[in-house]
Amino acid sequence: MPSTQFESLRLELLRGGVAPVYVERTILELEEHYADLTSDALAAGHGAEDAAENARAALGSEHAIIAAVLSRPELLEWSTRWPTVALCLRSAATIGVLPGLPLVFCIEHRPELARWGAAVGVAAAVVGAILAGLNFMIALA
Amino acid sequence: MSGVPELLVLRLLSGREMYGYEIVKAVRLVTGEAIGFGEGVIYPVLHGLEENGAVKAKRKSVNGRERVYYAVTAKGKRRLEHLSGEWQRVSTGVNSALGDLTKEPQNA
Repeated sequence: MPSTQFESLRLELLRGGVAPVYVERTILELEEHYADLTSDALAAGHGAEDAAENARAALGSEHAIIAAVLSRPELLEWSTRWPTVALCLRSAATIGVLPGLPLVFCIEHRPELARWGAAVGVAAAVVGAILAGLNFMIALA
Repeated sequence: MSGVPELLVLRLLSGREMYGYEIVKAVRLVTGEAIGFGEGVIYPVLHGLEENGAVKAKRKSVNGRERVYYAVTAKGKRRLEHLSGEWQRVSTGVNSALGDLTKEPQNA
């Protein structure tokens, strides 16, 4: 099986929730196995095409390999093995992080917030002064 | 036949450390090719055993090739003993049942 064909196997395993460390190991070992099979077939006098075809057949179908990996829960990511626990932990983490986000935003944008506060203060003072002036003029009239 | 691949792999690895291709060839040799399987499925078996602590994996570079060698651990040896015992029990039971079946026509 040429290594380009292992790419679809890799993606299927990742999509199935297999731990990335075992996905990479499986691909590496399958590539080595394929290379061993072809070199043995070539040494036995087969042509390159025959050797490749025999190696593909000997490794088994991609579907069978995927099924064999997915049938082993110990090779899956913990979030795939225990989806309810993962969902609860993610929710708890989100709830924990949300109240802190505005505070983090304020700390990170202190200069902008200071300028904004000063501008709002000046604007309020100007508007207040105008309103007070108008109020004074109404009282005089 | 649940547990048979693990049993064979652990039995072979109890002799010496091996990599996947070697294990497949050894399985074919010791079973007289009685057990047919796609060779690629040996890796989930090995990885499962590794995850359960029955074997440990070690990467080695041999003649420019990246090999992953597997060796059985103490836990793996205990697992091998357990699986061997289970297999003997099942095998004895099945042989006994088959023996009874062959006797049946004589009794009838």
